[in-house]
Amino acid sequence: MKALSNNEIKQKPLKTSRLYGDYLLLLAAPFVLAWIYYGPRVLAVVASGVLGAVLSDILFCAVLKRRFLLKDLSNVFIGAVIALMLPAGIPLYVPAVAAVFAVAVAKIPFGGSLRAPFVPAAAGFAFITVCFKEQVFDYSYNSAEKMLGARSLGALLLNGNSVRLNSINVFDILSGNVAGPMGAGCSLLMIACLVFLLVRRKGALVSPLGFIAACALYAAVMPRVNASFFTSIFTELSAGSLLFAAVFLMSDYSTQPQKYSTRILYGVLSGFFCMLMRTVGTYEETVCFAVLLANAFTPILDSAVKKLQLKKASSARKGAAK
Amino acid sequence: MSEKLTFRDIFVKGSVVFNPVLVQLAGLCPVVAASTSLKNAAMLSVIAFAELIVVCIVASALLKKIPRWVRMPIYLVIGLAFVCPILWYIETQTLVNLSLGMKIYIPLIAINSVVAVHCEQFAVKNSVKLAFYDAAAVGIGASAVFITVGALRELLGSSSIGGIAVNIPVAFKGMLMPFGSLIILGFMAAVLKAFVSKRCPEYIQKPIAAEEKKEETTEIAKVELPATEETVEETAIAEVPVSEPEAEPAAEENPIDAIKIMSEKEIDDFLKSLGIDTEETGDKQ
Repeated sequence: MKALSNNEIKQKPLKTSRLYGDYLLLLAAPFVLAWIYYGPRVLAVVASGVLGAVLSDILFCAVLKRRFLLKDLSNVFIGAVIALMLPAGIPLYVPAVAAVFAVAVAKIPFGGSLRAPFVPAAAGFAFITVCFKEQVFDYSYNSAEKMLGARSLGALLLNGNSVRLNSINVFDILSGNVAGPMGAGCSLLMIACLVFLLVRRKGALVSPLGFIAACALYAAVMPRVNASFFTSIFTELSAGSLLFAAVFLMSDYSTQPQKYSTRILYGVLSGFFCMLMRTVGTYEETVCFAVLLANAFTPILDSAVKKLQLKKASSARKGAAK
Repeated sequence: MSEKLTFRDIFVKGSVVFNPVLVQLAGLCPVVAASTSLKNAAMLSVIAFAELIVVCIVASALLKKIPRWVRMPIYLVIGLAFVCPILWYIETQTLVNLSLGMKIYIPLIAINSVVAVHCEQFAVKNSVKLAFYDAAAVGIGASAVFITVGALRELLGSSSIGGIAVNIPVAFKGMLMPFGSLIILGFMAAVLKAFVSKRCPEYIQKPIAAEEKKEETTEIAKVELPATEETVEETAIAEVPVSEPEAEPAAEENPIDAIKIMSEKEIDDFLKSLGIDTEETGDKQ
C-alpha cells in the first residue's frame, strides 16, 4: 500500500505523540526561561491555554462521537505555544479563547492536527490579536527591570525607533531581557531549538531557515530604522515572536509542502509576507498572519513545483531521444 | 422539468437542501460584509426576499422566449428598478442611520447572484406559480441565514441583540470583520449538511449515486483506514492503485457495447436495422 504518494520526506509512519512530544520537549526550555523572568504567573497562562485546548477537544469529540485520545499531545502543544507567545500579564481567558479557537476552528473541522491546512496555533493567536489587541501587546507586567521598560522591540520598530547596540544591549536582547512575549524573547534559546531540529527533524528545518533568511534579507534591503543594516537585521529578528514562530509554527508537520525545494519557497514566502505586514501593517506582531497566508499557498507551490519538474523531465527525455 | 413538482419539494429544496447561501454559496457579499447586526441583516433579508419574488415572477411570466444572453441583463435591470426606489426612500425619508453602514450593499443585492441563478435555473423553465413558490422558498432560506449570521455576529462582536445590550463577559471584535461571518457560515453549512443527510436523505440520494458511479470508473480508489492514534500513514487517505480495468472494445467493433451508450429510441432503430424485433427480445443488451 502506497500512502501519500510522491512524497519525498514523509516516509516513516509518525505518531502525533512522538512528534508533539519532541516539540513539547523543545517548549520546556522557553517555559523555564519565562518562569525565571516572570515567575509563577507563566504557569497560570500556559495552563489556561492548555486547558482551553484540551477541554474544547474533549467537548468536540463528545459532540462528534469520536474517541478522545489524551496521549495525542497536539492540544497541549497548541495551548502551550499560544500561551508562550503572549505577555505574562495577559488576562487568563485570552489564551483559553485562542486555544479554543485553534482547536474548534482550525483543527477539528479538518480532521485533526496532521490534516489541518492552517497552523492551528497561528490561527488562534491571529484571532486574539484581532479581538484583544490591547491585551495581547501590553508588556507592562514585571517590566521594571527590563532594558526598555514596558516597550517592546516590535513597538519601537513600528514607530521607526531603534536601539543603539552595544555589548550589554546585544546580550540583553539575545537573552530575552526585553519586554515582549514571555516565552519567545530569548533569541539564543531559539537558535538552540533550531539546532535541536537539525538533529531530530532535518526535514522540518528547511522552511524555518528559508523564513529567517527572507526576513533578514528584507530587513537589510528595506530597514525600518535609520541604522546600519546589521542593526536592522538584528532588531527585526529579535523583535516579537519571529524566531519562536520560525521554530514552532513554520516547522509544523501537516502544513509544510512535500518537497524540500517547495519548503524553501514556502519559508521565503512566509518571511516576505511577515516583513511586508510589519512594514505596512498596524500590528507589531504579524508572523501568525504571514504563516496563515503562506499556508494558503502551500498546495499551489506544491503543484507548481511538480509541474516544473515534470516539464524538465519531459524536455530532458525529448533531448535524450534526439 | 419532467417530474411533477410539489410545494413541499420546492420549499425543502429551495430553502434547506440547496440553501442559496450555505450550499450554493450565492449572495455571500451582503452576508459577509453587511450583516454585522440583527437590524442590518433583517433589512437585507426583507429587500432580498421581496426582490427575489418580483424578479422571478417577471422572469417566469415574460422572459421565457427571450434568448439567454438578453435575459441576464434584464434580471439586473428589473432588480435595480425595484431596489433603487427603496434605497432612495431609506436615504431620504427614514432610517438614515441604518443605511449608512450598508449603503453600498443594498444596490449589490439588486445584482445578487441568488436572483440570477434562480431566475435562470428555475423561473424561466416553470409556471408563474412554481416560480413564486421557488422564490419564496429561496428567499426564506437566504433570509434565515442572513438573520442568524447577523444576530450571532452582533451578539459575539458587540454583546447586544437588536441594539439591546446583553450581559456577555467578553466581546470578540473580530467577529464583526468579514472572517467572523465566514467562520459562522462554515459551521452553519456543516450543521445543515449533517441535518440534511440525516433528516431528508431522499433529496441527496441522486447526486451521491451519480458520484459513486463516477468513482468506480476512476483508476485510483480512496480507502479510509481505521483511525487509532493519529499517524501520518494510518489516518491519511491512502491512494490505492486499482488494477487496470480491462480494455473495452470500441463501440464500432461490438454492436452490443454500442447499445449501452444509446438512448432507447436509438437502440430500437439500431436493433431494427439488424433485423431484430425489439418487442420479442425485450432486453436492451
